[in-house]
Amino acid sequence: MKGAKVVVELLEREGVEVVFGIPGGVLLPLYDEIFDADFRHILGRHEQCVGHMADGYARVSKKPGVCIATSGPGATNLVTGVATAFMDSSPLVALTGQVATMMLGGDAFQEADSFGIMMPITKHNFRVMDPKQLPMAMKRAFKIATTGRYGPVHVDLPTDVLNAEIPEKELDKDFPIHAPRRNLNQLLDAVKLLENAERPAILIGGGAHWSSSGSEILKLAEILMAPMVTTLMGKGVVPDTHPLVLGVVGMHGKQSANYVLHNCDVLLAIGSRFSDRVTGKLDDFARKTKIIHIDIDASEIGKNVKGGIGLIGDAWTVVNALIAGLHQRSIKESEWKRRITELKQACTCDFDFKDRPIKPQKVIWELSRNLPDDAIVTTEVGQNQMWMSHFFEMSGTRQFITSGGLGTMGFGFPAAIGAKVAKPSSAVVDVAGDGSLQMVSHEFATTVQHDIPVIVCLMNNGWLGMVKQWQKLFYEKRYMATTLERSPDFVKLAEAYGADAVRVERPSELPEAIERATKSEVAFLIDVVIDPEEDILPMIPPGKKMTDVIRGKCGFNFK
Amino acid sequence: MATVISLLVDDIPGVMQRVMGEFTRKRINVETIVVGKCEKPDKARIVLSISVRVQAEAVLEHLRMLEEVNNAELVEEENHEAYALIGNGEGNMRMTGSIDEIKKIIDKTQPAKYIWAVNAL
Repeated sequence: MKGAKVVVELLEREGVEVVFGIPGGVLLPLYDEIFDADFRHILGRHEQCVGHMADGYARVSKKPGVCIATSGPGATNLVTGVATAFMDSSPLVALTGQVATMMLGGDAFQEADSFGIMMPITKHNFRVMDPKQLPMAMKRAFKIATTGRYGPVHVDLPTDVLNAEIPEKELDKDFPIHAPRRNLNQLLDAVKLLENAERPAILIGGGAHWSSSGSEILKLAEILMAPMVTTLMGKGVVPDTHPLVLGVVGMHGKQSANYVLHNCDVLLAIGSRFSDRVTGKLDDFARKTKIIHIDIDASEIGKNVKGGIGLIGDAWTVVNALIAGLHQRSIKESEWKRRITELKQACTCDFDFKDRPIKPQKVIWELSRNLPDDAIVTTEVGQNQMWMSHFFEMSGTRQFITSGGLGTMGFGFPAAIGAKVAKPSSAVVDVAGDGSLQMVSHEFATTVQHDIPVIVCLMNNGWLGMVKQWQKLFYEKRYMATTLERSPDFVKLAEAYGADAVRVERPSELPEAIERATKSEVAFLIDVVIDPEEDILPMIPPGKKMTDVIRGKCGFNFK
Repeated sequence: MATVISLLVDDIPGVMQRVMGEFTRKRINVETIVVGKCEKPDKARIVLSISVRVQAEAVLEHLRMLEEVNNAELVEEENHEAYALIGNGEGNMRMTGSIDEIKKIIDKTQPAKYIWAVNAL
């Protein structure tokens, strides 16, 4: 069987329903086989975006997203998409074309060392130099992407390998990979610590999302009477409407959630890597707190926060083991539970602002109330992301998708496209800024060509807002290269691509615009003109303590 | 005193780059590297010596997560072996011994050219 046919055959055997890609010279043999494939091919407009589309698809379906790019510039463009998935542990199989093996190393046209470039930003990668290794690489790629801690795997495919004949029996071979290690030796210590904790708290990270352990975590929290706080990547694993859920922690987190994070005596961290955006100044973080750290990746235990109890395994399994260890033990009814109720009440501010220009908080207030309970929201990166993280209410089965680790502007729109492909029945909304959207606005063409009606809710303030905010707060308002003058008319831009759009300048127009968008049969842009001077506050300045918070309108004060 | 990591890896192109990438990311300077084929077919051993033990311990789990690394362990000091090739202008001289012995000889003789490395099993 021809190498290109082998790739398609093995993608089909893996149950791949859709691939996101852009063809190129060295990929012609592969695309000729995709012509007859059983799966759908979505043609993006930039390789970075096909990576994000596959990533968005993976985060919703929890199956590997497949993206394809050609050699040289195709592969280098794909790098940001792959690196974004790597930082957020999202399973991708990224296929790139490569010049023929005989040409490699000779600086051929569209040659780049994509094997070397991809190595530090993938969980693993292959360069298939021998056609016989192609089935091994393809099969292992899918296994590695979804075994243990998820992550992207890259397979570099020289064009002569795609044209080579491969014995069909090679396709039926099994290619095992290393099994992830589980280590629960310290489970009993963890149970004892939690049982005797006076002020326990649970920090939920992205690992809990990937292992679908939200309902188990709720059960454990109810046994322990422990408040739950989340990282950015853990937002939505448990519903914000639950009385023990206090929201997102960190630099722009809820102050009640940060209070709990810094005042608990035992912290159970589930699938979190203790990023600097969560801990702030590491030396001051949790100095008097005993930490139990659950992670599927043994290398995360003790990486940033040292000295805790490590439980190595996937969140669902370990949380269930803790429930089994704790459910018959008597947890003392405590003062802590009463304080959590007070904290939750103290942190419910009214942000139904009627001001003009529209306040961004008001946009999110309306989105929280008017989007369906199964909506999927994605964000770009910057103020839009942090406003959503802080203010958007996760209820029902809503899902929150964001580039938390790499912080990739331009992620949200293509990720929304991938999410909508994975779950067409749900409304999918990218909450964007005008800086981010201009990095990827060409993907409106993809939505229209492939009939993928996503919504873009643009918070248009005419600035690279987050950088401007830092210049305002920390650089004496010396605004350098942050104003986005001469931006296009975004309504006309969307319409030029064949999408539908509306501009909103009054708060009262928001509900109708959101309703129109959710009913639209083509991609829909809501261009909301927001107050350019509104910052995302509260904010703990980088490298500072929780008590150094810049409050803004936040009235939370709990002693 | 050196801390020595011994790795059993798949003997394929790119494995050194993958292993060394972890040291680059963790800002660890590797003092000496020995790589060679070993008793297992299609496998190789990589022996790395690092001067700061806490750094070696920190990188160990990251090395174990690599798909092509079959095994990664710290090697006890009694199993360390140093060797050196010393050039004194009239030819080369080879030496083996403990790390301390080799270092002492190099310090004492101040050869015009030399290379030393740690091996271990």
